Amino acid sequence: MKRKLLIVLSLLLFVAASLRAESIFPYKYQETKLDNELRVILIPMKNPGLVSYYTVVHAGSRDEVEPGKSGFAHFFEHMMFRGTDKYPPEKRNDILSNMGADTNAYTTDDFTNYYLHFPTKYLEQVIDLESDRFMNLKYSLPAFQTESRAVLGEYNKNFSNPFVQLDEKIRDVAFDKSSYKHTTIGFIKDIQNMPNEYEYSLQFFQRFYRPENCTILVLGNFDPAQTLTLIKKYYAPWKPGDYATKPIPEPEQSAERRGKIDYQGDTLPIVMAAYKAPAFAVDSKEYAALTLLADLAFGETSPLYQRLVLKEQKADFVQADNDPHRDPYLYQIYARVKDDKDLPAVEQSFYSTLEEMKQKPADPKRLADLKSNLKYGFLMSLDTSKRAGSALVRYIELTHNLEGIDTLFQTFQSVTPEDIQKVAQKYFDPKNRTVITLSGAKQ
Amino acid sequence: MIRKLLLLFLLIPSLLVAADATIPDSQLLLIKNDSPLIAFRILFRNGSANDPAGKEGLAALTSSMIDQAGTKTNDYQKILELLYPMSASYSAQVDKEMTVVYGVTHKDNLTAYYNLLRDAILSPAFKQDDFDRLKTDQLNYVAKSLRFNDDEELAKETLNWGIFKGHPYGHPDAGLVSSVQKLTLDDVKSYYASNYTRKNITIGIAGDYPDSLITQVKKDFAALPAGDAGTDRKLPQPTVADWNVILIDKQTPATGFTFGFPIPLTRSDDDYYPLMLAASWLGQHRSQVGHLFGVMREVRGLNYGDYAYIEYFPFGGRYFQPLPNVGRHQQIFEIWIRPVQNQNRQFALRMAARELQKLIDNGITKEDFETTRNFLLNYSVNLAQSNLEQLGYALDDRFYALTTPYLDIARTRLTSMTMDDVNRAIKKYLSTTNMVVAIVGQDAAGLAKAIVDNTPSPITYESPKPDAVMQEDKQIESYPLPVKADHVTVIPADKIFQ
Repeated sequence: MKRKLLIVLSLLLFVAASLRAESIFPYKYQETKLDNELRVILIPMKNPGLVSYYTVVHAGSRDEVEPGKSGFAHFFEHMMFRGTDKYPPEKRNDILSNMGADTNAYTTDDFTNYYLHFPTKYLEQVIDLESDRFMNLKYSLPAFQTESRAVLGEYNKNFSNPFVQLDEKIRDVAFDKSSYKHTTIGFIKDIQNMPNEYEYSLQFFQRFYRPENCTILVLGNFDPAQTLTLIKKYYAPWKPGDYATKPIPEPEQSAERRGKIDYQGDTLPIVMAAYKAPAFAVDSKEYAALTLLADLAFGETSPLYQRLVLKEQKADFVQADNDPHRDPYLYQIYARVKDDKDLPAVEQSFYSTLEEMKQKPADPKRLADLKSNLKYGFLMSLDTSKRAGSALVRYIELTHNLEGIDTLFQTFQSVTPEDIQKVAQKYFDPKNRTVITLSGAKQ
Repeated sequence: MIRKLLLLFLLIPSLLVAADATIPDSQLLLIKNDSPLIAFRILFRNGSANDPAGKEGLAALTSSMIDQAGTKTNDYQKILELLYPMSASYSAQVDKEMTVVYGVTHKDNLTAYYNLLRDAILSPAFKQDDFDRLKTDQLNYVAKSLRFNDDEELAKETLNWGIFKGHPYGHPDAGLVSSVQKLTLDDVKSYYASNYTRKNITIGIAGDYPDSLITQVKKDFAALPAGDAGTDRKLPQPTVADWNVILIDKQTPATGFTFGFPIPLTRSDDDYYPLMLAASWLGQHRSQVGHLFGVMREVRGLNYGDYAYIEYFPFGGRYFQPLPNVGRHQQIFEIWIRPVQNQNRQFALRMAARELQKLIDNGITKEDFETTRNFLLNYSVNLAQSNLEQLGYALDDRFYALTTPYLDIARTRLTSMTMDDVNRAIKKYLSTTNMVVAIVGQDAAGLAKAIVDNTPSPITYESPKPDAVMQEDKQIESYPLPVKADHVTVIPADKIFQ
């Protein structure tokens, strides 16, 4: 069974966990905003001997609005492992090694997430380490320049992946002004220039690594009262800032755009059609309806999947994503086909499917099945602190709290087949789309 | 008397049937807890090492016909529609010596899910249209995706092939282009009948399941054929002599490497555990704590990461923790160097080989031993967290004939281990005398010549490095690798695994 990771479901995992009137989230949690505006969410849950500690920074590649500075949110994530005066890199690594922490970080368009999973007995030490680096990070120019080459290494290791190339191209062609035009890792020319941008990196830290921009999420086996006391103690010196990104609005698209990738080497061809789509909001019925439409029209139980993948066998998968974003982003429909000659027909099948969604309301039974799918998907994502944390982070970075889960649940529950028809009619206009095809070129 | 004899005659077959009517408890692995998520792992002791000669890829294709195709009850589209409201699925994973069908469901949907899972394994439809689709997908994977879309996985498969030439492990699980092309639906049916048997099966279930489920499972899976007695095949010993370098030529801005050699250790061996510590110190997977990561990435910015292993770890680029149920009775020691800019690639290979030799010559220090031991002891709490993971580890325990769980053994051994144990294991099992190196990069012939000629490979940096680093670099740039020209193979990417 092919596992499809619909990115949108990471958000939908909060939807429809229950039809009860009370909160749908099954765990008791505690949300606090400290005096310095740092948000803290504590979720004790059964998890043998383990705590998961997340720091979600409300900054990603979307905040890179200055030319020549793409990729800095991600690069900065790398620099956050380069130590402080109190905990220089060797000492920090030694402490984390001895505690057996599973630790890493990642950056996306909208946020950066730092996490550690470790035995409960080290919680205070982790709070000390984390608070210290978020307040007092310090690194030299040589360390900065060395790490820029690791970022280049990260870019290079993905070079052969056709989906990475596709992501770069669709954004670059679809967007003119939005900072979503570049991928999170950045334009290659900016990555290559990173060794020269030390001062800018320090400015990035000052702008975004501030308490009002961050949320701490703790899940697992711990004492909430004691933990909150420790967090208040260690993070107290952290001063808020006042920087706010001024995103450059994307002008309205007036005509279809197209692009092509000649992939070096042999690969299965891919076609993607991406439409400009609204930003995420917990109470946006349009956002919810579009998200549900993605699976109804292009998911594994859709008539299109049955025809293209199972019966005609022209494609080995079809998928659509309405990935939640802070600003208007792209609604992406894509398929990997088995023969170049089928690319045009498969592309047209996307549009004929959308026309069907415009012509009549969605099938009520399929919509009900989808809502059940979301309910159980949510319940099944909560079995460990790691999995629950990963699911929640994607939501918290957009709203900074868990209270909106219930609002989001109500929004999705309220979507009707007619709502889905309406959004299909509104957003899937040819002039609103960008189409990229990727084909292999023999070496 | 005749009537009694007749009754006895009639009774005996029914007694015989009753004796075979359920799967024995010894072939169940049950973890009862209060989790509403019920996990299944149904493992068969067969894998790609069972592929008949000329039919490489058959185990994988057969497993696809189980998890991505219709059953005698439902066609595949219907299965997808039935699973959909449950948000559940099942998948098959094939490795050299085991195939596992696994999945998780919420207990609200247990009966419906189990019926679908059971039918997938016991009653696959083996329809031609499903076969055509899945065979094409598998062929495309070998011919295109493996060769071109993931250089790091390509290097690892090439290393495996290089070490296990002529050995049942020596081909990708997905097979070769030429062998997959020839597979037929009858091949799949024949493989299924021979390998999906009662002899081969262990059924793992974890969660808050009702006892009636177990009764049902034992009865249902008794319908499998009994299977032949000798399913545990004897594997030949792989042999690697001298340094052997295989270069896959393809256009890339950076070159990926992996190198290694066979080791005679698995989890059932005492010396596995000290060597595990040594490998963790040298290069704990996807972690900053490893030595290679420190000296190659952190100090020199050579690449995204460098790691070391004594157990097979597939898809290391995707997973931070090892997948369960890829158990093998023959393992390799492996160092993985993630892609390095082409101008520094020879330097990186030399550096990694030299660091391995330094470990062999010097061992690890007391401080490094203590830190790595603490790391492993504490890190183990991250492993086997979910029901599905716990089942996976428990099934691997059975594969390795461990009477105590692997993680418990590891913790016990680590607690009593000494630095001398580790250094003794390093000296006994690690060596740079015989090696296979797999490289994926452009101008493969040029790199091959440079390696054979031991051409110096100096490195330059954007920023100054400490004197100690610069001094060491001078030794690294001319560190000799004992590679002879007739031990080098260059293969264009579109020809590997033909």
